[in-house]
Parts: sequence; C-alpha cells; structure tokens
Amino acid sequence: MAGDELVLKYRVAERVLHWIHAFAFVILLITGIFLFFPPAGFLAQDSWSRVAHRLAAIIFVAAPVITLFVSWRASWKAIFEALDWSLYDLGWVLAFPRYYFLSDEAAMPPQDRFNTGQKAWYLMVLMFSPLFVITGGLMWFGKDALPTWVFQWSIYIHDIVFMVTICMFLVHVYLSVLHPLMRKEGGSFRQMVDGKMTIPYARGHHGKWFERVYGSQKAPTK
Amino acid sequence: MAEKAILFDTTRCMACRACQVACHQWNDLPAEATTNHGTYENPPDLSPTCWIKIRFNEVPKANGGVDWVFTRQSCMHCTDAACVEVCPTGALYHAQDGYVAYNEDLCSGCGYCVEFCPFSVPRSQGSTITGIRKMKKCLFCADRVAEGNQPACVKTCPPGALTFGNRDDLVIAGKQRVKAIQTTYPSAYLYGEKELGGLHVLYILTYPPEVHGLPSKPEVPLSARVWKNALQPLGWGLVGLTIAGLGLNYIVARATINAERERVTRWMCPTCGYIRQGDEPPDRCPVSGDPGKKFTRMEE
Repeated sequence: MAGDELVLKYRVAERVLHWIHAFAFVILLITGIFLFFPPAGFLAQDSWSRVAHRLAAIIFVAAPVITLFVSWRASWKAIFEALDWSLYDLGWVLAFPRYYFLSDEAAMPPQDRFNTGQKAWYLMVLMFSPLFVITGGLMWFGKDALPTWVFQWSIYIHDIVFMVTICMFLVHVYLSVLHPLMRKEGGSFRQMVDGKMTIPYARGHHGKWFERVYGSQKAPTK
Repeated sequence: MAEKAILFDTTRCMACRACQVACHQWNDLPAEATTNHGTYENPPDLSPTCWIKIRFNEVPKANGGVDWVFTRQSCMHCTDAACVEVCPTGALYHAQDGYVAYNEDLCSGCGYCVEFCPFSVPRSQGSTITGIRKMKKCLFCADRVAEGNQPACVKTCPPGALTFGNRDDLVIAGKQRVKAIQTTYPSAYLYGEKELGGLHVLYILTYPPEVHGLPSKPEVPLSARVWKNALQPLGWGLVGLTIAGLGLNYIVARATINAERERVTRWMCPTCGYIRQGDEPPDRCPVSGDPGKKFTRMEE
C-alpha cells in the first residue's frame, strides 16, 4: 500500500493564516463571552478584556488582508474553490449523516480539495467576518458619535453572528479533531499542521481533486 | 429594610445649584471650566465629573410672562432600571435601600448603560482607541446613607426642595404637596411614584413631564430586555444544542466504528472444527493439516 506517501493539501501560507486567525478568534471569543456570562464579569473589570479584544481584532482583520496581498493568486483561487458549488455538494449533504454517524464512507460522492462542509465553513468566514468587522468597528470608533439605535443594532448583529459562529466553531473543532472517524484516520488536524494527507485519504476524501491533479499517476511521489 | 428615596419639589427649587457644588465636594469631583452659552444653566450637561445639575426651562404663562422651571437632572435610581438590566458584569445593581448602586471596579467600560438609560444619565469617559473606559453617575451618596446621613445634595439644599427619607413616607408627603399646589398648577403631578416600578428620586412637577425635560412614560427600552432575556438565552440554547448534537454524534459514530471492528470473518475447518479469525482462511489447518480451500466461512 502507498499509505505512507503524502500529498500536499494546504500550502504554508494557508496554514500560517489558519493558525494566526484561529489564535485571534479564540482570544476574541474568550474576551467577548464575558458579556454573556455575568458571574465571570469580574474578569472583564477595568477594561482589560476590551483592550485584548481590540488587539485580537486587529490581528483577526490584518492576517487575512495581508495574506490576500502577499499570496494574491492562491488566495483568490481558494476563494473561488469555496464558491464553486455543484451537484456533488448536494450529494455530500445527503450523504453526510450516513458518513458522520455510521461512518459509511462509500456513500460520499468524490470531493474537491475542499469538501462541501469545508466550503460552507469557508463561506461562513467570508460572510461573517465583514459583519463582525463592520459592527465591531462601529461600536469601537463610533461610541460617542453614533445614534443609539445604530449602536444597539451593532450589538445585536455582532452577538447573533457570534452565537452562530461559536456553534459552527464547535462543529469545526469537533469534526477536525474529536470525531471518531477523524481520530481513526488521522485526517484534518494533521493537514493543518504539516499540510499533508496520505494518498488513500486523498483519494477517498478528495477524489475529484486527486484525479484532477494527479490523474492516472498511481503515486505522485514515485 | 425600608426603601430610601429623595423627594424633589420643583416649586421650592430656586436654582442656587448648591446641590451641584455639594455633590462635587463630597465626591471629590473637579469643577469644569465652561463658557457662557446664554443661560444661567451651568454646566451645560451631565458629565463624568458632574453627576447632578439643575435644568433651566422657560415656560410661557397663560397671562403673559415666563415661568422659570428648574428640574433636577441626575440618576433616578429606578426600580426597573435599564442600566442594571443591561450591565454585563454586574457592576450596576440594586442596593438593599432600593437605589441603583455601582461597583466601579467591576465596570468594564462597555457603555451599554449609557446607551440604554431612558433618562440618559450615565456618562462614560476614557479612550476610544483602547476601549479603556469607566462609567460615572450619582451613587446616592451610599457611603453617607449607610451611616444614617442624608445624601450631600439633600443636606445642603437651602430652600428645602430636596428631602430624604423612607420612600413610602415621601410618596405620601409628595401627594399632599401635589394636592396643595394643584390650584396654581393644574397639571401638578408626583413623578416617580409608579414610573419604572417606582423611582427612588420622586419629583413634584408643576407641568407635564416633557416640559421639565422628562419622558412622560419612561420605560426600559425593549431592546435592553431583548439582549439579556432573549438573545443571550438563545445563544446559550444554540450552543447547548450544538454540544448535545455533537455528543450524540460522537456516541453513535464511535459505536458504529467499534461494531465494525468486531465484525471479523471466521473460518472453520470441516474436518476438525478448528476456527481461524481473519479475512482469509489459513493455507493449511494447523490441526488436521487440511488445505485452507476446504475451510467454510461462518455466518454470524
């Protein structure tokens, strides 16, 4: 078996961005969730959590923007990959309960470099980030100047988007690190560390992409 | 403990602003340098260093001339307080005496109280860039009241427009006073008896509240209630459901994978009954020496 051989899924820039963004997100999450949990409110005293929230927000915004310019073509390519939806994605949606509950891997239609779930997550980040940034920016810089209703709606939108995001974040972490199938196959988490996946994994989980990139070659590294 | 309150009688206020001075003095607040903006009303607005001020209104009289109306502007210490409702850290809370107390250390500077107060009383100051801020407002002279003293503004008030005492007594006194002045001021009204579940600063008004610069029907904005009572529980609910769903998935998926692992094929030698586990039978039976081809696959 060619199980030891590896193919690259995520480039260095993608991985670095992922972890910087993840770090900033977790800081934002921790320093924001105080507001939802009054007994922990003492942790927010004297505004230190607000300072941390702002610093993390700068990283959260700057990291993808810098990556976009540094790695211009690859970034747009990845964005278009996330926007490329077809009937295979409907197949994924229909198959995913069988896959994730009953580990029925045969039910999954072949996927591209991003599977449907990963594309959905990517799209969510693309859509929610501007909402976070706009409402957060209004609350940050417009505090003394804005009409009350703008401030209030900024709070609401920021919070609603946050609630959905935290749920999706739990799903994201769970599926990539904790799901029994991922632990068995050593899938997604490893890909974000060294960017690589085994050939059987690539063939089984990203068949469409594997076929397109490596075609009839049996083992790319040989 | 009986609830305490301050009763403010607009008919007695002469706008000397001694209350403003006493408040600054007791709370060690610096004076503000202001410029003349065409009225004796000064400073122009409440601020982080000005927790009480008298508002000057000129009301035309029916018979000509002007009635100069003075209204206290400071924290109303509501029972149903929007600021307490929205304060995420618990810095704002109700004291036993009923007034809205404030633990300044706990204040994170979010400023939600500033946005949601129906009387627009709290003021916050700090840096917009770093977000380091503190809210400031009237503290009901909690330190004085705890020692059995009157708040500084009441203590100093020369014309006796301010009275401090048990809220129940002040409501009765206020109603009597309203009755007494109703011949002169037909729309006289005791403001704060019922408003927002009862204010801890009661006003004897001579005109409708709007004339005094007060909302006629103050209420905790619906948006303030939505945040803590609907949005936040919704958020926790969503997170709870997600975690429950993931937990269920984990249990089912692990059970499936374990079941698969146990589902191994078994082969039996027809001659001696020797059983071998595995995908394929052995080449030769180790007991009888029969070839593996003769082995039969066992159904579960």
